[in-house]
Amino acid sequence: MASTGNDGRKPYLNNGLNYGRSTSCNCSSRSNTTAATGPAAERPRVTYVTDLDKSVIVSNFDKRGWLQVSPEDDWNFYWAGTQTCRTLFSVDSGYRMNDNQMINHFPNTYELTRKDLLVKNIKRYRKELERDGNPLAERGDAPSRYLHLDFVPVTFVLPADYNMFVEEYRKNPQSTWIMKPCGKSQGAGIFLINKLSKLKRWSRESKTPFNPNLVKESYVISRYIDNPLLIGGKKFDLRLYVLITSFRPLKAYLFRLGFCRFCTVKYDASIQELDNMYVHLTNVSVQKHGGEYNSMHGGKLSVQNLRLYLESTRGKAVTERLFSNISWLIVHSLKAVAPVMANDRHCFECYGYDIIIDNKLKPWLIEVNASPSLTSTTVNDRILKYKLIDNILSVVLPPDGVPDTRWNKVPSPEALGNFELLLDEDLAAQDDQPRRSDNRTHSSRWK
Amino acid sequence: MLATLKVLTMDDMKDKSIHFTAQKLSEDIQNMKIYQAFYTEIQKLVSSPSVRKDDFKTTLLESMKKTGMETELRNTVFHWVRSHNNRDSDGITSIVREPLTYLRKAQLQWEKRIHKSLNSMCGELGVPLARLRQTTDKEELDEKWTELSTYDIDLSQYRPVYAPKDFLEVLLLIRSPNYRVMDDGVWDFTQIPLKVKSITELRGLYQELSRGEALLGVNPYMASSGSYPTLEAERTTLGEKVLLSNQAPVAQEFLKRGSPRCLRGRLWAQVLGSAVKQTHREYFAELKHLVLQHDLMVDKLIIKDVQLTASNDDQYFVFEDVLYQVMLCFSRDTEILSVFNHSSASPINAVLKSKAPSLENTVIYPPSGVIPFHGFTMYATPFCYLYDDPVALYHTLRAFYMRYWFRLHEVSSHPQGLLALCILFERLLQRHEPQLWMHFKLMNVQPIRVVFKWLMRSFSGHLPPEQLLLLWDLVLAYDSLEIQALLAVAILSFRRENLLQVNNQQNVEAVLADLSSIAVMPLLQLTLMRD
Repeated sequence: MASTGNDGRKPYLNNGLNYGRSTSCNCSSRSNTTAATGPAAERPRVTYVTDLDKSVIVSNFDKRGWLQVSPEDDWNFYWAGTQTCRTLFSVDSGYRMNDNQMINHFPNTYELTRKDLLVKNIKRYRKELERDGNPLAERGDAPSRYLHLDFVPVTFVLPADYNMFVEEYRKNPQSTWIMKPCGKSQGAGIFLINKLSKLKRWSRESKTPFNPNLVKESYVISRYIDNPLLIGGKKFDLRLYVLITSFRPLKAYLFRLGFCRFCTVKYDASIQELDNMYVHLTNVSVQKHGGEYNSMHGGKLSVQNLRLYLESTRGKAVTERLFSNISWLIVHSLKAVAPVMANDRHCFECYGYDIIIDNKLKPWLIEVNASPSLTSTTVNDRILKYKLIDNILSVVLPPDGVPDTRWNKVPSPEALGNFELLLDEDLAAQDDQPRRSDNRTHSSRWK
Repeated sequence: MLATLKVLTMDDMKDKSIHFTAQKLSEDIQNMKIYQAFYTEIQKLVSSPSVRKDDFKTTLLESMKKTGMETELRNTVFHWVRSHNNRDSDGITSIVREPLTYLRKAQLQWEKRIHKSLNSMCGELGVPLARLRQTTDKEELDEKWTELSTYDIDLSQYRPVYAPKDFLEVLLLIRSPNYRVMDDGVWDFTQIPLKVKSITELRGLYQELSRGEALLGVNPYMASSGSYPTLEAERTTLGEKVLLSNQAPVAQEFLKRGSPRCLRGRLWAQVLGSAVKQTHREYFAELKHLVLQHDLMVDKLIIKDVQLTASNDDQYFVFEDVLYQVMLCFSRDTEILSVFNHSSASPINAVLKSKAPSLENTVIYPPSGVIPFHGFTMYATPFCYLYDDPVALYHTLRAFYMRYWFRLHEVSSHPQGLLALCILFERLLQRHEPQLWMHFKLMNVQPIRVVFKWLMRSFSGHLPPEQLLLLWDLVLAYDSLEIQALLAVAILSFRRENLLQVNNQQNVEAVLADLSSIAVMPLLQLTLMRD
């Protein structure tokens, strides 16, 4: 009867009176860096700079005994905004990083995160594969459809591709399209159109008419996924976290604790509701302003619970296929940008992938965010984001916990925490040559 | 000589009782909804060439087997026996629903309190218990039926009739007249002498767990003993065969080692006989119609309860809309009244407005006889993960309620009743966790206070859905709620070190607030396999 087990949590008393679901984040950490404070006595303390004064970040650094410094000081670890990172790497800055420095973005990360560039890169990737006769680029019955690489909705950049858009539009004039400004995030500036005239009117009324010479801001227009999977009658999208420690060779990890973001209002594809963004946009930043927003759960359901629901109501096989298609989609979106990414060895990055599942259980990539929100909307959200940062640090840092660009970037299975390996091209290449006698760890490969 | 005689008479009596049971059974079956359709099918079968006149009995039975009608009949008998056999030995002849007078009294007083509190709430708010629904309201409700979260009514004045805490106080105040009260303290249930199982007896009941058989829910990659890649693959293939057999007892047996997620909804329906047929759809539509007809005060309580519980819960908020539908229909379902044949509780009677208080002017309130309390919705929420269809969800929920959940909010001496579960919990804790027990005693915290809401809600809302469904697999499989008390002890035992470090109720509750890391199956198995 007696049991002395410990369910993997630290003692509850660690943090005074904050327990369990309360705000303290005494979540289990399999960090390989906790040793940094002890035996590292002779080493200098790890120093960090952060642009974001978020407690989930700072408390993780504090836990490791790191010291906060200003950007002008010697630092080992920089949690920066994308702009800071770009400036730092620009030729003008004249800053050169040493081997013990790391930063949380790639300098030209916008290749993946700008809506127009992502689409451009994916289109180019598909064409290249097709030219090489790669079976991945096989096309289906409809000549424009790729069988395996059709994971972004048909998209055009406006104003540049306006004529191509009109051509596509005329093929299927009933469908709805979604307009998004390329450089904005969190649902700002987004609207739906179902008539060409509406687009024309918008272009007339907006300050930036479609004159390529005048336009500063470009837009993407994508076919709207008007048959989303609904649960409880409501639309949702998935927010998944993907960590990249290198683009060439590609090393990518998927965080298991993603979540679904639900609209607060029942989904309604009818034209009357076309302008009601609470029906269509799942962004928390949009939904928060709706009258129905609930701050206890923030409209977020865990991916584990989504999986339980889908397996129970739709079956195991289709659910597994959906999740493996999601991994597929992430890997190929990354491969599409890998050749153009500045693969600096000091960089790693955690991307927020936004994915919509349609009612045939096909996942669609909507966009990729370079600085996914670290604001916590609920208690569970806070615990999740704390774990995310903790696990990121434990994957990107060498086992001794001190930033070092010379390590082989092969974290131990324990260091992965809630991350699972999506792809490590280095390890995959070794698998292709099994003859080579190599004593490297054989634990993590393709998943 | 004497011995043989005795055996003879016993057998005689048994024969007689079987005869009576059979008579009652056939009467009851003829009154069932499915009877008409079943009878028509039999007639069709008799006139088909597969049944021959010269060997009528054999050929008829043969064809009934072939068409699956025999299984259907067997399942019907199975469900009938289960629902009429709630007091194990004396079965259908039992007239007294609660043999202990002092518990009957306690239940009666409790019902009076609920009744009074309902009436006084009506008085305060100036609303009647029931009235015809106004046309505008009816139209709005009908229009918003699938999105009742937008049905906008002011419920700020409504409060739950009672909460688990209130019911615990009632239980703690019960005294057996056979015991002299030693002191005034109500620290535990020692004053109530109910027999509950020992850990050895529980090991006997939960044999498959105690024997250390491979269970689902322990390790997702657990290897199969056969040629399957994983245990889950093996159980899924076997489970599909079980579903194909369509036999309720087989499905029940299968659940003992846990159900694969993808089959659970259908397996549960098979055990409970709640698989959806056309009649179920019609019935549900009828219930909806009844909801639209009358505006009951309990409707507000139900809506309020969904709002207070599921709507705020990050595991269940997406299912809010379907829960309103299902819970409202539940209140109108008079078939639920049959639980009162073997429950110690009685439904509340109300006299029709401006009528003389006579029998024919008296109605049961609400039609289902069940007054919701704070957290009542949680009995339904986990089913949302299993069924997309509100009709399927409703009927399995109802079957669960009528078999198990009604016992969790009544005063009774039944071994499945909440009182017996509390006593079971206490005895196990005291016997097997003496150090913890003493620690609680020294802190002057009653252990039951911290686990009572788990037991009363059958852990719904406390365990994450996946773990909860595994627990309910076991409730169904062993047809017993005793597993809940065992799990409560196991959790305390598991967190013992942390519990021993705190010294007041608030901190004890904090240690036990988050059960998200609890894995039900390994914990139970560990507890049952020890020694």
